[in-house]
Amino acid sequence: MQLKTEDIELRLLLEAIEKRYHYDFKEYSRASLKRRLTRAREHFQCRSFSLLQDLVLHNADMLPRLLPFLTVQVSEMFRDPAYFRGLRERVVPHLRTYPSLKVWVAGCGSGEELYSLVILFREEGLEQRTLFYGTDINPAALKEARAGVYSLERIPQFTENHRASGGPCSLSHYYTAAYGRAVLDKSLRARAVFADHSLVSDAVFAEVQLVSCRNVLIYFNRELQDRALGLFKDALVRRGFLGLGARESLRLSRHAGEFEEFVPGERIYQRKGG
Amino acid sequence: MSAESSHPANAGVRAWPPAVCCMTRFEQRPTPILFGSIAILAIALFIVDSLTTLGVTDWILYLIPMVLALFLWRPQTPLIMAGVITVLMTAGFLLSPPGINPEVAKINRILGAVMIWGVAGIATQFIRVKLRLSRQEWLHRGQTGLGERIRGDQNLGSLGENVLRFLAEYLDAQSGALFVKDHDDFVRVAGYALPAGSGLPQRVAPGEGLVGEAIRSNRAFFIKDLPKEYFSIASSLGRGQPRHVLVAPATADREATGALELSFVHPVYDSDLELLNRVAESIGIALRSALDRRRMRELLEETQRQAEELQAQSEELRVSNEELAEQSRALQESQARLELQQVELEQSNQQLEKHSGLLETQKEELSRAKSGLENQARELARASRYKSEFLANMSHELRTPLNSSLILAKLLADNREGNLTPEQIKYAQTIESAGNDLLTLITDILDLSKIEAGRMEVKIKPVDLRREMEDLRRIFQPLAADKNLQFQIDFAPGAPTRLETDPQKLQQVLKNLLANAIKFTQHGEVALLISGAADGPVAFAVHDTGIGIPADQHRSIFEPFQQGEGGASRKHGGTGLGLSISRELARLLGGRIELESKVGLGSTFTVLLPAVYSALAAARAPEPPKDEARIEAARPAAARPPPAELVRATAVEDDREILTGSRRTALVIEDDAAFAGILSDIAHELSFQCLIAGSAEDGLLLARQYTPSAVLLDIGLPDNSGLSVLDRLKRDPHTRHIPVHVISASDHAETALGMGAAGYLLKPVRREQIVQAFKQLETRLEQRVRRVLVVEDDPVQLESMRRLIGSDGVEAIGARDAAECLRVLRETTVDCMILDLNLPDSSGFELLETLARDERHPFPPVIIYTGRELTPEEEQRLRRYSKSIIIKGAKSPERLLDEVTLFLHQVVSELPAEQQKLIERARHRDASLEHKRILVVEDDVRNVFALTSVLEPTGANVQVARNGREALAALERAQAGGAPPVDLVLMDIMMPEMDGLAAMREIRRRPSWKKLPIIALTAKAMKSDQEQCLAAGANDYIAKPLDVEKLLSLVRVWMPR
Repeated sequence: MQLKTEDIELRLLLEAIEKRYHYDFKEYSRASLKRRLTRAREHFQCRSFSLLQDLVLHNADMLPRLLPFLTVQVSEMFRDPAYFRGLRERVVPHLRTYPSLKVWVAGCGSGEELYSLVILFREEGLEQRTLFYGTDINPAALKEARAGVYSLERIPQFTENHRASGGPCSLSHYYTAAYGRAVLDKSLRARAVFADHSLVSDAVFAEVQLVSCRNVLIYFNRELQDRALGLFKDALVRRGFLGLGARESLRLSRHAGEFEEFVPGERIYQRKGG
Repeated sequence: MSAESSHPANAGVRAWPPAVCCMTRFEQRPTPILFGSIAILAIALFIVDSLTTLGVTDWILYLIPMVLALFLWRPQTPLIMAGVITVLMTAGFLLSPPGINPEVAKINRILGAVMIWGVAGIATQFIRVKLRLSRQEWLHRGQTGLGERIRGDQNLGSLGENVLRFLAEYLDAQSGALFVKDHDDFVRVAGYALPAGSGLPQRVAPGEGLVGEAIRSNRAFFIKDLPKEYFSIASSLGRGQPRHVLVAPATADREATGALELSFVHPVYDSDLELLNRVAESIGIALRSALDRRRMRELLEETQRQAEELQAQSEELRVSNEELAEQSRALQESQARLELQQVELEQSNQQLEKHSGLLETQKEELSRAKSGLENQARELARASRYKSEFLANMSHELRTPLNSSLILAKLLADNREGNLTPEQIKYAQTIESAGNDLLTLITDILDLSKIEAGRMEVKIKPVDLRREMEDLRRIFQPLAADKNLQFQIDFAPGAPTRLETDPQKLQQVLKNLLANAIKFTQHGEVALLISGAADGPVAFAVHDTGIGIPADQHRSIFEPFQQGEGGASRKHGGTGLGLSISRELARLLGGRIELESKVGLGSTFTVLLPAVYSALAAARAPEPPKDEARIEAARPAAARPPPAELVRATAVEDDREILTGSRRTALVIEDDAAFAGILSDIAHELSFQCLIAGSAEDGLLLARQYTPSAVLLDIGLPDNSGLSVLDRLKRDPHTRHIPVHVISASDHAETALGMGAAGYLLKPVRREQIVQAFKQLETRLEQRVRRVLVVEDDPVQLESMRRLIGSDGVEAIGARDAAECLRVLRETTVDCMILDLNLPDSSGFELLETLARDERHPFPPVIIYTGRELTPEEEQRLRRYSKSIIIKGAKSPERLLDEVTLFLHQVVSELPAEQQKLIERARHRDASLEHKRILVVEDDVRNVFALTSVLEPTGANVQVARNGREALAALERAQAGGAPPVDLVLMDIMMPEMDGLAAMREIRRRPSWKKLPIIALTAKAMKSDQEQCLAAGANDYIAKPLDVEKLLSLVRVWMPR
């Protein structure tokens, strides 16, 4: 009985967030969302979700504080190096045939993945003809992404990943370290557009050749996953590429038939032609 | 083994209520004729036998009915027959008149009877074997048929449907249902001809109802002649009147995995039951594997879900880890920060001092700049005053000599001396009237310059409107009467009668408007209506029923030296300054003039004045929008083509209203309505849609408008020869591919064929010939080889590309340079063209531009295939001509082949209906958008292309900027006069360098762009985002994906007129 009341409260809280702020989390994967909101509840010292809901509804400035709990912002540069190696070795030769390119990093968080792609494209000589879109629903994360400043402690991991992904030079080419932080080279931002965009409610905004959306779908339920994949499908040019996270798969999706596996094992798919 | 036997396990319970079914599926149906003839024959033989004497062995003929009985195909009948014959023979023996020795006859007959019984025995055996064989065959066929239906990886639903449909059809069942095991219960997964919406059970438990019974007892049975009341209780097949029901389980390893129920109106045969028993296992196994497959898929999904969940959890863990690390770091940092702050404080102190010094200098600079500006303003004022003074002096100087010449001319014209010829008098009158016109003009110019220089004085006093209006009536009543016009001045109820304003100026404005109204009205009326509320402005509406003013000139006529149409001045006289002066005067009085007019229906000019003049309101009166006025003025009226209109007025109805893109269309150009009708009928028969044009011009127009699949052309047309139509069709790049068949009364066969006609028929023609002609056109449409032109200077590359692309039905033609390319395009129809940008005689860009400019060459879809990298500008330039650009590289051949295939299969008729509708509609130019300049700020090539292709056909000029910065640059260029001014901006939000919101804020910051309409294009669905757009300065917004209709109407709404 206890559990059931909590679920009702959770549902009502999500409904409240949607009605008040137009952020729709109703179709996010419940189990994970519940854990995260429980942490938020504890953080804001509310005894129940209902009290949290009261707080959220009556304080407009609560949303930016709650969003970090609702979305999981964690990534590192060149995370899963094999994925980036796959892009570098298998996908880039195809991308070379386009006079201009667009890349969409959906759910870019604080930008690590997007900058990884910019670096990869620079190393492959494609950066100048490419535009990188990084989208996320969390304005705070986007701000971080625009800044491109990361804690120095994370850099060794980034460097190792970069090397494993087949990077021809050291990652240190691309940042300046100072005051315990590493600032990415400003020029990496020149071709990047960061924007607020929700996979739940918003539409396709551009035609792209590559979509990279990693460890985002795991927080969605099946319907929402299908919606997001549908967006990617519509955004991609024929024969465009889609990269997913290590535990994500197209196999059981409604759109499975519209893609074919391109780099097996690395979750890189190619949109079918025609 | 009897025909009713079934599976050994359920030999006991076959039917319930117990009843024995004697028929089997394979016995012949009773044939009354055969029965009758056997009976008649037996009786006839009996009569003959009883009449003939004993010893005549006519009883041997009893063999005939015996043999006939064989054909009844029932095992019992030969035996019954033998019994009957034995009785008859015995009776015959007793009744026959004596002949030979009765003992001998008796022995004969006994031997005969034995033989008959022998035959009957054999026949019975034969029939039994035959029945068993056909039963076996039927069962076998059923098993194989079913086996085929359940093969492959089908899901439960379709497997159930297949099984049920097959069995129902094979057994002639009327309806059926199939249940499959689902946990402990059984669920219905398929139905055959089940009545909809009946309360038939979806689930049954083992032992529940007949199906449940079949599952529990694991055997098939049938039920005959169901009593209705019973039926309604136990059967899952609810309504209807089936009389018999067959229920069977489907088992796998002797365990029920499903059950099926079939209902019949005819009795159930025993063999049906056996078939079901035999296939029970295979159906069961098929169901089980389908169930297994489903289960496997569920498990797979579950695993995937769990993997995702696990990943989510680990992500969350990472977050908390990072947070912890972050917190400890933050602590350390805050310590360090505190120390730093100390140092920073000192630094900032120093900086502050530096800043204050800087501020001082800036202040000085500012004051310098300010005095410079003030100087300039003074200069400007002086210059303007000089201009006005010059004008005032000038007009005075002009007036003096003019005055004397006017007076002298008047004297001459009066001819006091009587010594002038009528001719000379007319000359003098002309001098006088021309002079008068000149005088008015000078006065007007003076007025205007006075107002502009701010030297027109306003003398405000209370005005009695009734008296003023009476004055006006006195002046204009006679003028109107001269032209036979009604003239009226009315006060609306509640209209004020007193006003505080400058009466002279008011008079001047109203006189001007009334004079215009009378001037431009040929018949009808001119009226002045005064209205107004107690505290609102007073409205003087001058209404006429004259020629009216087109909407696009509503603004320009208020500009100096502008009149309605270009020719109006000549016809109606006047300086063209009247309205300008009126507008300026109205503004001077703190009011304004509004115009409502429709061409041909008349105009209403409304002067709105404040009831009480106040100097402040006058200063605030709206400044005329100079920029827009300039566009209007710069636009020559004659250059505006009339909007294209659909060709109407054909005698015969055709399909243009109901045209769909999915079917081929034939265009019939024929002035004989009856014959055109015949052609149209035949076209319809051959499933062409048909368009009919009655003249050469209409035909050409329709051909261009609809691009039909084929044209049937008459030579003798009312306005122009059909040959000229043919020629023009073949010269137009848009229509040259259409096959044309000529049907004519005169023989021009050779000329027509020489000009490219597909065929020629000489009138009178027979129906078959026309049908033949259509068929010929049809084959031409279908059999066309697709041609691809490859333009490439390197012979090796060229050859390899031709190899890559060429195939059945695709012919690849090569061209080595631009000249050759043009030649090929002129000579053949090409479906698609692949172009290398580096050519020996001209660059690919130039070639494309030539093709786009030069109407003589058809312009096929182009794929750019180039080895060089393109700058964004080059790409933008190429995008206008080509949707697909491929850079040569390791993977480029793959993409090239892909794109070519796509082009070759996407001809216009295959475009989706909506797109076709779009093209259709796009052909109508839109007067409100014609020649307007729209700046599309959007970085996505696909969207730019879509927007351009929607907007350009309406007649608007589209300019593209790829981000906010470029948009600002474009606007600045336009303002500086370096480019035509922009009328409206479509602004994307998500763009590189400077996004749409920033760009709009920047635009709104400039006073001169405050009124520039901006429509934001946003991919975001949230209301708050759209509000953000409006807050940033957008006039309106539209959400992506763009709805074309909505976009166009938005553009129309906001486009300044």
